[in-house]
Amino acid sequence: MVASQKTLVVIGRGLAGNLAALALSNSLGPSWRIVQVGQPSTPPEDSFYGNVTAPTAYNFLRSVGLDEPRLLRRSSTAFSLGTHFKNWLGGASWMQCHHSPFATPAGAPLHHQLTRLGLDLEPLLVSAQVALAGRFAHPPSDPGSVLSRAEYGYQFDPMEWACLLDQSLQSSPVEIVECGVSEVETQAGNITALTLENGDTLTATLVIDANGPSRRESLCSGGAFTTKRTVHAQANQTSTPQTGPACQSVEASAQGWVSTAFLQDRALGLNVSAVRGNNAEQQGFNIALGQLDAAWNGNCVAIGHAAAVVEPLTPAPMMLLQRDIERLLGLIPTGVNMEVERREYNRQYRDDIAHISLFLTTLVKSDDVPDSVYWRDAQPTEPDEKLQRKLAQFEHRGLLVSYDLEPFNDEDWTILHWGKGLRPRQYDRTADAMSQVDATQTLASIRQSIEQITPRIPPHGLYVAKLKDYLERQAHG
Amino acid sequence: MPQFPRICILGGGSAGWMTAAALATKFPNAGGEITLIESEQIGTVGVGEATLPHIRFFNQALGIDEPTFMKTTKATFKLGIEFCDWGKRGDRYIHPFGDYGFPVDELDFHQAWLKLHQAGKAHRIDDYSFPILAAQEDRFKIPEGDVNEVGSNFGYAYQFDSSLYAKFLRSFSEARGVKRVEGRVVDIGLGATTGHVETLSLEDGSKVEADLFVDCSGFRGVLIEQTLETGYEDWSEWLPCNRAVAIPCESKGELSPYTRATARTAGWQWRIPLQHRTGNGHVYCSEFISDDEAIAQLLDNLEGAQLADPNQLYFKTGRRKKFWNRNVVSIGLSAGFLEPLESTSIHLIQEGITTLIELFPSAGIEALDVDEYNRRMGLNFERVRDFLLLHYIATQRDDSEMWRHFRALKLPDSLDERLQAWLSRGHIPAYEFGVFLPPSWLAVMLGQNLMPTDYDPRLDRYEMDELHQRLETIRTQTADAVRATPTQAEFLAQYGAASRSPRAKAAS
Repeated sequence: MVASQKTLVVIGRGLAGNLAALALSNSLGPSWRIVQVGQPSTPPEDSFYGNVTAPTAYNFLRSVGLDEPRLLRRSSTAFSLGTHFKNWLGGASWMQCHHSPFATPAGAPLHHQLTRLGLDLEPLLVSAQVALAGRFAHPPSDPGSVLSRAEYGYQFDPMEWACLLDQSLQSSPVEIVECGVSEVETQAGNITALTLENGDTLTATLVIDANGPSRRESLCSGGAFTTKRTVHAQANQTSTPQTGPACQSVEASAQGWVSTAFLQDRALGLNVSAVRGNNAEQQGFNIALGQLDAAWNGNCVAIGHAAAVVEPLTPAPMMLLQRDIERLLGLIPTGVNMEVERREYNRQYRDDIAHISLFLTTLVKSDDVPDSVYWRDAQPTEPDEKLQRKLAQFEHRGLLVSYDLEPFNDEDWTILHWGKGLRPRQYDRTADAMSQVDATQTLASIRQSIEQITPRIPPHGLYVAKLKDYLERQAHG
Repeated sequence: MPQFPRICILGGGSAGWMTAAALATKFPNAGGEITLIESEQIGTVGVGEATLPHIRFFNQALGIDEPTFMKTTKATFKLGIEFCDWGKRGDRYIHPFGDYGFPVDELDFHQAWLKLHQAGKAHRIDDYSFPILAAQEDRFKIPEGDVNEVGSNFGYAYQFDSSLYAKFLRSFSEARGVKRVEGRVVDIGLGATTGHVETLSLEDGSKVEADLFVDCSGFRGVLIEQTLETGYEDWSEWLPCNRAVAIPCESKGELSPYTRATARTAGWQWRIPLQHRTGNGHVYCSEFISDDEAIAQLLDNLEGAQLADPNQLYFKTGRRKKFWNRNVVSIGLSAGFLEPLESTSIHLIQEGITTLIELFPSAGIEALDVDEYNRRMGLNFERVRDFLLLHYIATQRDDSEMWRHFRALKLPDSLDERLQAWLSRGHIPAYEFGVFLPPSWLAVMLGQNLMPTDYDPRLDRYEMDELHQRLETIRTQTADAVRATPTQAEFLAQYGAASRSPRAKAAS
């Protein structure tokens, strides 16, 4: 015990709670005592974090001990070059791949040359082509290789990651109490004491509600959850003799959508639909989509599903969870009065939610949706000025409108617009700086480089197997 | 694609010729379709002699050779701005182009510094900044190599004679097909149905027709305001200075690679050292000082003999309600005016040009282009305004009416919240779009004595000695790197950027 030690209580032992507890423990010094409470089980709703991460997760995962060798050796995690949308709304199919900034022939963004020449985007995206061919290799640092333009995240099982993190927590300074919270005492909007199911009482300086969609602790200190609809989700898994491709697939169905992620030895499925009549007879769970208006209330910060639930059609849920934790780390209160931290946290939180929603709304917005409750309810009902500007400007002249610190970058947006069939009506005049012949040749040469390199890259499964062999040998000296 | 629009730029100062040069470079096939009208009878304001590092990208995009440009415009390098007497009388600090130190793992350098400072174990934060130390010793080099190494983690800009820059860009533009027309506009023809500007008639009876007009006519805003009556958003409430007087003088001593802004009782004074002379000016608020007093105060504070008569300027801080209205885009002083305390005048010109190029009309003037241009430029202006206001309100001064005015000012919420976040824990809310990033806010807030009461608690995971050691390494490496750096005068000579003209002398 350190003099004037402050106590931080993390409620929840699923993926969000474990990530937060470990990140906090690694970040904070001995002046903070960290206690994590909850039953040692991962809630079923954790499957709604989805099964893919974005490339931006790499450093964050490393910081909590989920470095790549450990993920490959100790879990069935595989690589992800993106998400393959198949038979999406209006029959569109495309590879929503991860890619570093696009080439800018003669200083004009790539998509302006494509508009000018009437060409398609996907054949010029190395990560898309490699993923579609079922192959994978780490992007080399040599900028001369076309593969260096690819970026990758992971396909993973949230339950497995929660277990890995739990192992790390057992040997960390975090005090783990294996029971839930039975009572919450509050005063003037702050949580003053938590009574645990084992009868113990904890007084906390700061409480992190990572307890999933029940949101009990944050609600008691004033947060309001806004939801427009509840969906039904059903997760499943099947073992696979061979590792599938380095991309998740997502397919629209009449009643909702189905995703399949390909881990080393199995495929994880998620089936999302509208809530049907008799829930008791269905497997899976119902989950309300929406968000707390403010995630930090009093001295309680809701993170992950406790704060917001978005559909795992993209890496968005994991992006949000990562941002929740990073935002929290950057604003650990310096004193009892947390007004400054709370205001700044909530400002950033609202921006992140709003910006994630722009991307997801664009993904599901369509005039051509199946005639079902799920798809009717998925359509936006109110116009959003920021979204309208993004869509109108891209359609008008291929202009990518961006707002401060959006989670999805320009490449993600260009691929999404293109994938959904939105084409600019005109291209930027700066593209004319390169002659049509030169532009055609430049793009053809990119395409050819990708076509040449793709067959030389190993199948995803073979690459993972060999890499694991190598890592095992390294680990055993 | 439809035919390239005919462009007419009205006004040939820095804004006009920068626009002409950029459009002619970006749209090389449009040569002959760009006309610039200027009159030698109308002077240019030339307020923005000091620039921000972004100007280098502008010049590079034009393919301009740096030594040639510097020699021609008698330019010096600039590593930052020195602010004197702002927090309180006798204070001085430099707002550098570049970060202080290096992050400690994932944590901001300044947070580590705050922790050590509170324990009485830190040197002044300037000692961890290469550009500050180099500037203080009048040294300069171009940053090369790994930006994660001491001596490479900074940016630089220029201080130049803006009339020479305009002249330089004029030759550049004319060589790329821009047509220059000499004359004064006496009549402006508007389309009966569209209300668009269609024709400019000149004194000699000639006419210039165009599809798109860029108004670079300065404060008057001949097209955007006098013709289209677009309206002006007055920001005097926040930035009440409304006059300036400029006087060049002989330069003395070493060439300083920084601009100086010294706070006065009713405004502030600039000092911009060029190779051949020093530019000086006094920006002030007429409510608090008379013109004569303002000139006298400036003359009392010149470092060398006066080289010209005072040039008096009148302005109102603020922005045009629409930067782009119908077929007229205002760039430069016609778009708005923010006092040049942080050398943003030329930068806002550059932003206007870059944004215009990105939204350049392809098939006539379209509302979507106009709307997006106005949104982007509005954000740029607003964020600069808040940063400028910071200089006036982050102060302990109350020794004159102007400073007492600022002490009593109610701040915009966004700025107030920013200050509270800083004062409580050294936190600086980040944004992506806007010229001044967290290190700039940090420089001004610390420089003007706003010391946070606490720091990021994550620093407590380090032992004090370890942090001290890390910062000491940065400090000694910075000092060593500065010692190995040539003086600016030496660097200009070896770089081939030294002007051949001797330093200007006042007529005796």
